[in-house]
Amino acid sequence: MPSGRANVGDGGVQYSFAMEYHGPPITRDLPRAVPINVDRIPVAAVVSQGSLSDKLALPVVQPILASDITNKFSKELGLGLGSECLVSPTSVIAYERQIGDDDSVSKELLLGLGTETTVSPNSGPSNHDCRLSGELSCLGTLEMNPDGRYGSGDFSDVINSSTELGASTTSHDLSKELLAGVGSSGTLGFSDSFDKSRDLLGSPSDFGVSNTCKESLDINDLSQPDWASTESALSFDYPSSRVSSLQVGDCISEPACDERGNLVVTFRDIESEDGDLTEGLNGAEPEITGLKKEFEVRAKKGTCYRCFKGNRFTEKEVCIVCDAKYCSNCVLRAMGSMPEGRKCVACIGSPIDESKRGNLGKCSRMLKRLLNDLEVRHIMKAEKFCSMNQLPSEYVCVNGKPLCHEELHLLQSCPNPPKKLKPGNYWYDKVSGLWGKEGEKPSKIISPHLNVGGPIKTDASNGNTQVFINGREITKVELRMLQLAGVQCAGNPHFWVNEDGSYQEEGQKNTKGYIWGKAGTKLVCAVLSLPVPSKSTYSCGEQVNNMVSRSLPDYLEQATLQKLLLIGLSGSGTSTMFKQAKILYKDVPFTEDERENIKLLIQGNVYGYLGILLEGRERFEDESLNERMNYNCSRSQTAKLFYTMQQFVSEFTFWFKAGHADENDEKTIYSICPRLKAFSDWLLKIMVSGTLEAVFPAATREYAPLVEELWDNAAIQATYDRRKELEMLPNIASYFLERAVDILRPDYIPSNVDILYAEGITSSNGLACVDFTFPQPASDDVDSADQHDSLLRFQLIRVQARGFGENCKWLEMFEDVRIVIFCVSLSDYDQFAVDGDGTLENKMILSRKFFESIVTHPTYDQLDFLLVLNKFDLFEEKIEQVPLTQCEWFDDFHPLMSRHRSSNSNSNSINNSPSLSQLAFHYVAVKFKRLFSSLTARKLYVSLVKGLEPDSVDEALKYAREILKWDEESANFSLSEYSMYSTEASSFSH
Amino acid sequence: MSVAELKERHMAATETVNALRERLKQKRLLLLDTDGSISSSFFAFSGFSLKLDLSWELRSMNLAVATYARSQGKTPLTFGPTDLVCCRNLQGHTGKVYSLDWTAEKNRIVSASQDGRLIVWNALTSQKTHAIKLPCAWVMTCAFSPSGLSVACGGLDSVCSIFNLNSPTDKDGNSPVARMLSGHKGYVSSCQYVPDEDTHLITSSGDQTCVLWDITTGLRTSVFGGEFQSGHTADVLSVSINGSNSRMFVSGSGDTTARLWDTRVASRAVRTFHGHEGDVNSVKFFPDGNRFGTGSNDGTCRLFDIRTGHQLQVYQQHHGDNDAPHVTSIAFSISGRLLFAGYSNGDCYVWDTLLAKMVLDLGSLHNSHGGRISCLGLSSDGSALCTGSWDTTLKIWAFGGYRRVI
Repeated sequence: MPSGRANVGDGGVQYSFAMEYHGPPITRDLPRAVPINVDRIPVAAVVSQGSLSDKLALPVVQPILASDITNKFSKELGLGLGSECLVSPTSVIAYERQIGDDDSVSKELLLGLGTETTVSPNSGPSNHDCRLSGELSCLGTLEMNPDGRYGSGDFSDVINSSTELGASTTSHDLSKELLAGVGSSGTLGFSDSFDKSRDLLGSPSDFGVSNTCKESLDINDLSQPDWASTESALSFDYPSSRVSSLQVGDCISEPACDERGNLVVTFRDIESEDGDLTEGLNGAEPEITGLKKEFEVRAKKGTCYRCFKGNRFTEKEVCIVCDAKYCSNCVLRAMGSMPEGRKCVACIGSPIDESKRGNLGKCSRMLKRLLNDLEVRHIMKAEKFCSMNQLPSEYVCVNGKPLCHEELHLLQSCPNPPKKLKPGNYWYDKVSGLWGKEGEKPSKIISPHLNVGGPIKTDASNGNTQVFINGREITKVELRMLQLAGVQCAGNPHFWVNEDGSYQEEGQKNTKGYIWGKAGTKLVCAVLSLPVPSKSTYSCGEQVNNMVSRSLPDYLEQATLQKLLLIGLSGSGTSTMFKQAKILYKDVPFTEDERENIKLLIQGNVYGYLGILLEGRERFEDESLNERMNYNCSRSQTAKLFYTMQQFVSEFTFWFKAGHADENDEKTIYSICPRLKAFSDWLLKIMVSGTLEAVFPAATREYAPLVEELWDNAAIQATYDRRKELEMLPNIASYFLERAVDILRPDYIPSNVDILYAEGITSSNGLACVDFTFPQPASDDVDSADQHDSLLRFQLIRVQARGFGENCKWLEMFEDVRIVIFCVSLSDYDQFAVDGDGTLENKMILSRKFFESIVTHPTYDQLDFLLVLNKFDLFEEKIEQVPLTQCEWFDDFHPLMSRHRSSNSNSNSINNSPSLSQLAFHYVAVKFKRLFSSLTARKLYVSLVKGLEPDSVDEALKYAREILKWDEESANFSLSEYSMYSTEASSFSH
Repeated sequence: MSVAELKERHMAATETVNALRERLKQKRLLLLDTDGSISSSFFAFSGFSLKLDLSWELRSMNLAVATYARSQGKTPLTFGPTDLVCCRNLQGHTGKVYSLDWTAEKNRIVSASQDGRLIVWNALTSQKTHAIKLPCAWVMTCAFSPSGLSVACGGLDSVCSIFNLNSPTDKDGNSPVARMLSGHKGYVSSCQYVPDEDTHLITSSGDQTCVLWDITTGLRTSVFGGEFQSGHTADVLSVSINGSNSRMFVSGSGDTTARLWDTRVASRAVRTFHGHEGDVNSVKFFPDGNRFGTGSNDGTCRLFDIRTGHQLQVYQQHHGDNDAPHVTSIAFSISGRLLFAGYSNGDCYVWDTLLAKMVLDLGSLHNSHGGRISCLGLSSDGSALCTGSWDTTLKIWAFGGYRRVI
């Protein structure tokens, strides 16, 4: 690299410098180089650190790089040393120093260069100390060609000679740094053009210094077209060179110099820091003009950056970040799998060169030749659509305000977007849709009413006519146009122009006319190169601003989506919550197809419930027949009376009915006619065989009338009245059975409520997710922050509890969720279920176990948990009949004795005498909170939900959103002024 | 019979079953300890053609093969750090890679990732040829059909979806699902096409079953395990079909066993292999089809013989602390001499199967993965190994320089 820069400077100077060394021939005491390095170790240590940790400030670098120092040196030495030359030696020195720490300069150098030049895969890894060579061997391994194994011994020769050079020069009373710099530059020159350096290999190590220097320069001359590429090669092996030149850029005022250093550094580096570098040097200005020039120069020299072969006529592919050019042999190696389009492997993840934005997605012939269509298409697609290559939104300022991602997307996806948006400052008149560069006349009329950027400024287009349109002082050209369009502009009026061109004076109601109404106006506009509204402008209207319904591109979607994981044991109501969320937040909660499927499912369920009823009927019939044997019929008269009261069937009336049946001989109230009996038997048979799902969708049409008859039958009704005794029949069945006749009609369409109540809709395939946004609040005081919140997109993921084990394989898949909503059914406290070991266990205890295992899962280490205590409606009923102490976990619940206990957790409760269910809820909540904090030492959020009530679920999910928001903001401002959220949170959790 | 009575009986029955299970386990251990008559083990590694007759010599099952091989004077393989080199780095996924599969014609790879995409790669150019956006992002497995014309994938949606690679894409560039194989009641953890048949596929699932599917009809041909209680008692995590006899396949499960199945006999497993102390995450048939390897949460890989039903070898690296990294995925080299095993800590060991010696750790090489190795697979000609990792990349490793393929 030093040689390269030497060439950039006037070569003569270098020669003269070289001549200085000419005198002393190199003697055999060359190994002396090492002690010299040792001398410099203190300085070197810093440099090496810096180089390794990317961006440390290196005290060493500055003195050497500073151009004034350069001058000083050159004066002292009487050498017209080019400043560019100095930049590079530094880095080399640093390199040497870094390696010098190991006291094995030559070896390390040898290895480093050896790897670099030979690109042999073997040499890299063996060199464990040297980070550089490690990197190089990446390249080597990428190549993997066995023929790339040059004898590294040759190179060792070269390097040896180079170190010798350094040594000898030192011995000749020259400034150490410069010496080393020059010396190493010379050696590097050799190694760069390694094919030529072979000639030199034979040269004995007792070369005269000047000779070597000359030699190296000669080589550089010879390889003139290659110089930049050799530099690029060299930059591989020494990252700190870049760092140091970055420093130059920072601390030196001489622009030419740092620009230079920067240049060389930027386009050749294969490290990933170049992004920082360019940013640091160029500041906010995205156009990198200086670099481009240099690139052109490069292009003329035109060899491949990787193999250094070819000339400028050979076809090459260009990296869209760093402008490195690769020939067809190297491009695939250098660019890898191109996940972001045509970027060198090291440039992946860096923003593209803005000047190349126009080329995005435009494939070269070379790639098409190398790869097949599918591959090319994917590369181009990735190039165009990957998030890294998008126009950085903050580069576009509208009305003085940099845009955010969503705004930029809105701007680009509107029906009439500004064409070929480039970074820069723009003004935008939201009312009329006029768009232009800041300080210039309007260039286009885009879709109006886009919510992007700040309010328009008076001087946005830098007009001086004192005529205003929508608060912007217009330019002379515009005024001219207005005058030609026949608009009365006397007296410096302030106009209010709408998107359709209608205008009125400010403060007045009546429209005075249409600016672009006349055909002549358009001509005038064309002449004055002013924009006219395109036809589509009129129609775009309001839909544009509907942020919720529009679809985001992939890259934005991923960024803004917040995932909520909804889990709970089966029966805890996760499914209901999920369906409720769908109904609440989706415009179309269920598609036609879904509804059709749900319909079949519900109908199948209803047949299932009917089957259970029929089964119960048979049982009851048998029982009542048995009863009849035991009781005489003396009560038949009474029974008749009671027959009308079937609805109030109880164990009591049972006998009476039995008596009544007895009267009809061989019949009980539970008996049905043979036809229905046949159907019943058939249905039961199908249920036993387990093929209900298979048979029923098809049979629905046929059997619907029969079901109607069946349902109206007294026997079924009688059985239904005793449904509490049928354990198999779920609570929810009554909802459907009472509508059975309607539901089983072929033209039945399930309502949202039906779907909400239906079982098995989401649990069928374990996992379900829904994307939603919270609808914008209707309240009028929507400040901008809230509006931004409404952009947040949420994904509610509901997973089946089944399969959650200790080593659950897929919990890790949800590591990107923001919050876990854990559902527990409050009414479970007296229910039992079989756990994994096959033993019966209280469902509340099972829930607790499950909760523990989820909470302590490493994936959810730092995650917020929202505990949803569900089914409060059922709980309210049940708690009156079954004491909470049924569950052993809650055995210290003594509500009457310890009302004060519950009061500490529900300070916000308005009700002074909370109901038993309220108390019980708070008690359970506290139980879980304590459990949670004992496990994680964090706070558990709790919410009370009645799954079947939309408002309740809505509240819980909004609470989840608040938690997320509070989390974010507490991260941003750790101060307590934002504690309003925390109090709010606690009010939710009571 | 009242419900309470039923419950009681159920409890009693469960207890009995558990007790029996325990006794069975004891018995089995006892047998393993004392059984000196391993009927026959014809341990032939193609390319090494080493014959092992273990029947007379070996008492302890552990270290069986290795002890014998050493006694025969076999020298361990030696690997330098540059013998296996990473020659391609497949970047393009934005989520954790969960699964990969090679085509039979050796140069294409399909990979499945948590970004909800299947990507088909050209391994030679390292370019994508297809990127399929999945309806359900939580994909766990993917497989190439033997003809290379379609790919299958499955995941938490409990459905195995088949995509035709030649079908035209819609306007967003998404491929339509050619066939949905639905019927599993739990997540689909693994799928593999029956060799040389594009129409049949075996999946394993979290519902404790494996299923043989007929893709043309989309129906289940047979279900292995599940309700009959003759199969796995926990999630099935992996399947591998015998390459030389495609009627046999082996499954690994969270119940710490591996089971051998015959597709003609769905009712019960041919054989159950005990030994692991953790979930069996990965099973893979040995190239000769008479043995198979397993990788488990207990940090070991094991080699089992399907004819004798015995464990031949344990491959275990001793870690100082107790939490050995889980084995996530395994693969055999084409000769079987090498066993590649990916670990949850990002290591990827190359085991000498014969001597049970770890010869190389790909995770220690300088350009190795930065995350857990989640899947690995060998190309059909054995010339390259592909590893997929949670660091979102896939890497292709090949023998560098002079070393020949083994």
